[in-house]
Amino acid sequence: MEISLTVNGVLKTVAVTDVNTPLLWIVRDTLGLKGTKFGCGKAACGACTLHVDGEAVRSCSFPVKFAEGKEVTTIEGLGNRDNPHPVQQAWIAEIVPQCGYCQPGFMMATAALLNKVPNPTDEDIDKNIINVCRCGTYYRMRKAIHKAADLQLNRESNESKEL
Amino acid sequence: MKLQPIYIFLAISVVGLLFAWANTPKISTYEIVAKESQNSNDDYDKMMDVLTHPRCMNCHPSDHIPKQGDDSHPHYFGMARGEDDHGFEATNCNTCHQSENNLNSGVPGAPHWALAPASMAWEGLTRAEIAERLLDKSTNGNRSHKELVEHMTEDDLVLWAWEPGIHANGEQRTLPPVSKEDFKKAVENWFANGAVIPSK
Amino acid sequence: MADKENGSKKVSRRKFLVRGGLGTIGVVAIGAYIFRNPIRRELLGFANSVEAPFTDNTDRPMVWFEVTANNEILLHSPKMEMGQGTFTGIAQMAADELSVSMSQIKVVHAASSTGNVDSFATGGSTSISGLWKPLRELAAMLRVMLIKEAALKMDIGSDELLVKDGVISGNGKMLTYAQAAEGVENWEVPDVPALKDKKDYKYIGQPVPRVDLDAKVYGDPIFGMDAEMSDMLYGAVVRPTKIGSTFVSADTSAAENMPGVVKIIVEEDFVGVVASSMLEAEKAKDAIVVTWDSYNSLDTSTIKKMMTVGNGNSTTIQKNGEAFREDDDFESLEFRSPIGAHAQIEPNGVVASVEGDSAIIKISTQVVSITRKEVAKRLNLDTEKVNIVPTYLGGGFGRRLHTPHAVQAAVMSKAVGKPVKYFFSRKEEFQHDMFRPPTHHVIKGKLNSEGYLDTLEHEFVSGDVATDSALIPNALTNVLGADVGAIRGGFIQYTAIPNFKTVYWHVVLPFATSWWRSLGLLANTFVMESFIDEMAIKASKNAVDFRLQQIGEEPIDIRLKNVIKAAAKKANYHEEVVNGRAMGFAASIDANTPCAQVAEVSIVANEIKVHKVTVALDPGLAVNPDQIRAQCEGCVIMGMSAVLYEQMFVEDGELIPTIYGPYQMALMKNAPKVIDVVLLQGKDTPGAVGEPPLGPIGAAIANAVRRLTGERLTELPLKISRASKL
Repeated sequence: MEISLTVNGVLKTVAVTDVNTPLLWIVRDTLGLKGTKFGCGKAACGACTLHVDGEAVRSCSFPVKFAEGKEVTTIEGLGNRDNPHPVQQAWIAEIVPQCGYCQPGFMMATAALLNKVPNPTDEDIDKNIINVCRCGTYYRMRKAIHKAADLQLNRESNESKEL
Repeated sequence: MKLQPIYIFLAISVVGLLFAWANTPKISTYEIVAKESQNSNDDYDKMMDVLTHPRCMNCHPSDHIPKQGDDSHPHYFGMARGEDDHGFEATNCNTCHQSENNLNSGVPGAPHWALAPASMAWEGLTRAEIAERLLDKSTNGNRSHKELVEHMTEDDLVLWAWEPGIHANGEQRTLPPVSKEDFKKAVENWFANGAVIPSK
Repeated sequence: MADKENGSKKVSRRKFLVRGGLGTIGVVAIGAYIFRNPIRRELLGFANSVEAPFTDNTDRPMVWFEVTANNEILLHSPKMEMGQGTFTGIAQMAADELSVSMSQIKVVHAASSTGNVDSFATGGSTSISGLWKPLRELAAMLRVMLIKEAALKMDIGSDELLVKDGVISGNGKMLTYAQAAEGVENWEVPDVPALKDKKDYKYIGQPVPRVDLDAKVYGDPIFGMDAEMSDMLYGAVVRPTKIGSTFVSADTSAAENMPGVVKIIVEEDFVGVVASSMLEAEKAKDAIVVTWDSYNSLDTSTIKKMMTVGNGNSTTIQKNGEAFREDDDFESLEFRSPIGAHAQIEPNGVVASVEGDSAIIKISTQVVSITRKEVAKRLNLDTEKVNIVPTYLGGGFGRRLHTPHAVQAAVMSKAVGKPVKYFFSRKEEFQHDMFRPPTHHVIKGKLNSEGYLDTLEHEFVSGDVATDSALIPNALTNVLGADVGAIRGGFIQYTAIPNFKTVYWHVVLPFATSWWRSLGLLANTFVMESFIDEMAIKASKNAVDFRLQQIGEEPIDIRLKNVIKAAAKKANYHEEVVNGRAMGFAASIDANTPCAQVAEVSIVANEIKVHKVTVALDPGLAVNPDQIRAQCEGCVIMGMSAVLYEQMFVEDGELIPTIYGPYQMALMKNAPKVIDVVLLQGKDTPGAVGEPPLGPIGAAIANAVRRLTGERLTELPLKISRASKL
């Protein structure tokens, strides 16, 4: 069976034998985008977090059939070296990653948070950012999330000035 | 002198019937009172056996925190009701729960997965208190009896309780102690018979 | 000590070769660095007070550096990058001695067939300290060699040439390193030149950003889980859920005809299935019915009973003065720590390709050489024909010091004649972890008339850490009489106490326990520093002064006192409860690095809440202060996760839980909002960083709780009792 979905702005049609295959494996193995990580397969750690129509989704627990016709964004599509997302800029400025494995999931969760709550308080962060990091980068992440909010708000205000 | 067991039984029955009669003044004959009363309680009990089962009660918390498992432990990772019963702004029910159970991850799902509204917090209440809340339009989402019957016998999220899927460890979630069909009948009967809440 | 013995003369010129053009237009400099065997060290000293050296493969020369055509330096790291920042530190060290900019250095993991791979492991907080001298010497040698070739090409004396950012210039002429190297076939290998003076370092000592920062922020496929090979199949291995199960037989009939299944492999010690996709392999695995010879039912209480001081064999690992006499009047406390899981987020995984007489293994591992030997042995291949290609590690923490899955994947690959990728499910990760062993401790102390300790005795029992591991030969454990891992942190640092003694008890558990970041340090320091705090309270003394008075006068003691003073000062340590918050103090020495911490704690909704942690660490010379801070922050958070939340249970012979959540770990909301790090430099070479800050955190939190509630918590994870709940 074929499923059509937009991944990082590009329309993709993938053939699947099982429509319940987790979106994670379609993204990683069929489309070759390895930035979205497998951590637990049980929607517990958040390493596989990506966006479906702008909402944070744990893709290990999201059947590909539900992505039909939807916009999927992965860490590769969030931003890149030429055009980084404010979250990525902040992550670099605060030198957040250690081993780095959980970080794409955290950055995707953070980007989703900033879409909903542009200037999150510590409490907003505590409630919404509930992925698991084993290296213990939470301390820098919190700083980076606040910084990303500032960067994004500045970027938006600059854009509105230009208009 | 020894009292025959049969007399003891009769005495208790008579007291019981009088008691039931006293509490159901609209019912005029002895026979009907006994039958209706028994059935009514039976329907009520079946319904309540389901409503108080973790498959239902876990999403009717009194502390705004969804519960999980047969031990009804707080949902892991600090998930809570949030502003609209769907969790927090960016990390909400649908971050993990979709419209059907996921057999790969063991994450349960059903259409409009969410916590029951705070007004329908049943956790820690007695059966009678739950029933009162259920019937009270100010705490039941402004539902009429007819709408309540529909909700309780047709809503996908309510009926999920009988198709709860598997845990993360692959084991089946336990079902409510009453079958889905019996529950539906019990709900229909109880409302048809006036939705009477038996006194304790 | 190490520095005296590994001077420049130790570089063997016979082993130092140079040859051109390995895949690049530039040059490949190849060398091996002969280093001292760690086993020859004073044995217990190696285990406890000295940073272990770098130990390379000395059997043949291999690549350290490549100079590429676009004038970049490829540094083939013998140490794995698992988050600890080693790649960045060694890039800084190499850049300074090579006189190139940071952006010109690219660090890659050395593969075993082309690079110089550590024959021991990446672990023990030894990477930067071990490579400090040899790597800079090799970089300096390469610089001299390149200058020499440039001098010949430009016809200028070497002495007249200057190097900056990989460009050699003099007399108005210039050549890049790549140009200098181009076409050179016969290199002259110099003696080790003098290393640069510290004031001439441009990068060493600076908080330069991690070299892998971009790759990790943009989601590059750098991890073992991301590795692929063309025409690859997926494998899965059936694993028992009960502790101590041994394989009896397997009924594979149902799985054989399932979709996608290519082959089912029944070996003496495992049953594997290879299929065309991971999900198909997993489904087929679930359909294989294996009969296991299982252990009788065990539970957590059985394990606790086994882990009780007095059980097993004992060794006195430290003794000074007299021990307690039976009629002595002393204070005594018992402590316990639970089974801990690594819970690293990247599951163990591997891609193996066995073709003919050779094998390629892509894997995140901390033990390249051991993995190589194990694969070669099982498949009866020449070790030289097995190429281990390491990837970035999605967390190490000691978990990847065991890699039998590489062997299993190789066996499966050989059976199907194609590459096979295989990784653990999360349940397998939790049930087949090599756990941090549970411990039990009895500690006794007696104060003298001045209110300081007269006698201190600590007896503890632990499961295996180093014993029975691939890394440390059991012969060594037998010589020592103690498990070098379990006794980490077990040495009493208050050596001014007249009488003290430490006794280690060894109990063999029915499941595997092993290296967990900082090893015995986490539990041993929790116990010792909790007890010291309790004795300070009994003596009505300030906990910091109480500690300072009982530390000796050796150099390491001075460094310990300095971190204690620095932490107390920075945190403004006091012993009053202010606005519902109290402070707790603790200090430790691990691998020659002293660390002191102050935790600021309150009780919120009946749970322990850590608001702020101040860390003072003396790692010696700080190659990258920012990454040392990051390690301190990470150790504080991983440590508080372990001491406040984490524990594995045994129920009906099964290790549980098997998923995050039920295995509770620190989340964002639990992490302290402030982690203040003070770095001291008590010696002029780099020391251990990645584990020592895990020592004090448990006791620092417990001591704060003691000041808040009056309750002395003696069991990890720390939970306040109902009586103390506010």
